[in-house]
Amino acid sequence: MSRTVKNYVDGEWVDAGATDFTPVHDPATCELLAQCPDSTAADVADAVSAAKAAFEEWRGTPVLVRAQAMHHFKVMVEDNFEEISRIVVREHGKTMDEARGEVRRGIESIDFAMSVPVLMRSDGLEDISSGIDETTVRQPAGVFAAITPFNFPFMVPLWFLPTAITCGNTFILKPSPQTPLATEFLFKLLDELDLPEGVVNLVNGGVPSATALMEHPDVTGVSFVGSSAVAKIIYETCTRNGKRVQAQGGAKNYIAVMPDADIEASVKNILGAAYGCAGQRCLAAAVAVGVGDAYDQLKDELAKQVAALKVGYGLDETTQMGTVISDAAKTRIESMIGQSEGEGADVVVDGRGFNVAGYEQGSWVGPTLIADVQPNTVMANEEVFGPVLSLMQADDFDDAVDIINQSRYGNAASIFTNNGKYAREFKYSVNAGNIGVNIGVAAPSASFPFGGQKDSFFGDLHGQGMDSIEFYTERKIVIERWV
Amino acid sequence: MASSDTLNTFGAVFTFAIELEARLGAYYAGIGDAAKSRAAEKRRKKLERVRRENVVEITLEPILGLSADNYKLDLRDGSAAGQAAAAAAAARFYHEAAPKINVRVAQRALERCGKEHDTQH
Repeated sequence: MSRTVKNYVDGEWVDAGATDFTPVHDPATCELLAQCPDSTAADVADAVSAAKAAFEEWRGTPVLVRAQAMHHFKVMVEDNFEEISRIVVREHGKTMDEARGEVRRGIESIDFAMSVPVLMRSDGLEDISSGIDETTVRQPAGVFAAITPFNFPFMVPLWFLPTAITCGNTFILKPSPQTPLATEFLFKLLDELDLPEGVVNLVNGGVPSATALMEHPDVTGVSFVGSSAVAKIIYETCTRNGKRVQAQGGAKNYIAVMPDADIEASVKNILGAAYGCAGQRCLAAAVAVGVGDAYDQLKDELAKQVAALKVGYGLDETTQMGTVISDAAKTRIESMIGQSEGEGADVVVDGRGFNVAGYEQGSWVGPTLIADVQPNTVMANEEVFGPVLSLMQADDFDDAVDIINQSRYGNAASIFTNNGKYAREFKYSVNAGNIGVNIGVAAPSASFPFGGQKDSFFGDLHGQGMDSIEFYTERKIVIERWV
Repeated sequence: MASSDTLNTFGAVFTFAIELEARLGAYYAGIGDAAKSRAAEKRRKKLERVRRENVVEITLEPILGLSADNYKLDLRDGSAAGQAAAAAAAARFYHEAAPKINVRVAQRALERCGKEHDTQH
């Protein structure tokens, strides 16, 4: 009998009123780590009630005190860095370096939240009319929630929670039921901060709890990261219920490789972009577009380096790529590879049927390289969310940009080149929210908004950066005259 | 990856360095050299911090051409010659590992550890 993950509501660890549970497995060993309750609407209502009750006291807590809490929180995360990384590896299947990188990114978001006392300041203007002054103040807006995905179980919640509460809001987190353990640990640390009860709340579960959060009248805004199909539903549901919403969706990220690029060095970086986290990230490189003569060189160098990647258990430091999240994901990814093969593409390195000695029950998909991918095929258009890199050929730079801009997604795109003109034109012309130049994973740091266009983002204000300050605050204009 | 490239990731390199310093710290403590033991412990802690603070997802790339087998320490010999040999092996590891790391801060930390070991052999 595995243990059941608890909710954290009103400063207490509590059992959810669930009757359904999601098993949480280590996807490499298949060990059952825990079970995640499918919290009910009543569980959500308890969390919202606690968050609402805590709001007035918390917004009145000096912002410097709130920021200081983030300083203490950061120290706790640093002190527990390796343990958190190991939890992420075990519940997700990624490598230790990837898990450490995730925790580091989470800490960057806590760092950003410490800047809230500066970033929340507003401006004013004297004598807008004779003896009349006008100022703007930013105020916290109430109870916020975040619905976060399995692929970055520690980092993505920290895109939202630290800034939200340091701005003076209260918060409810609903993590993925597939990976609830890193967030459980995160809340153990938050519990030690002795914040007022109800400032931060954790509700585990799936669709029912997410729906309850989106429909609850006392929730001001919702942040979401996940697939585009769900992001669209989240956006529509939240707006219908009068909420602020930022919904980050899926992606099909293209990388253009120009003939002037250093192919060997570019491929080394593209490997991390395509196969990092076994391709299960919204910034994963999905399609490499070889421009002109670059195509054949790119294909040969990728084939060589992809085949050399060491796949294994993430807790082994020498592992360069881990598992996918589940057998269901493995089946889906392998099916898409088969479909691509049926469409005439050339599976140069085939990760289907992959296995790792000693971990035969794991959800393995080997790194896969598919060449000669054509427009309007599955690998050109559909998000795989697995360790599959497709290769397409473009005649020239303009052709490459056309191929990239045909995608319905617009999360990220990169170019590898030594030519500044191509780099400039790429930044200018490509319709994607995050652009990389000689960087395969164009991941914005915490002080910049996480871009995203077209079907990769639904909303107005993005996560991270100044957008998050805007999202988590209400601006009030004060016009005053004293006679 | 060649099968001998056991130090093939950022984490593998730094974890090897951290464990190397832990073993050297115990070795020096065992032969009564408290100062060298403290220095090894200081390097170990620094390397842990550098590993924690400089693992950057956008620069994670495979590392080629480094094998732990090439930097084995023989810590049975506590003589001056034995100590010099251990320090030389450690220094060689740091000097060969540093250029393989693509994050400058982390690279510099390895270089400095190498220089410290250089002075001991």
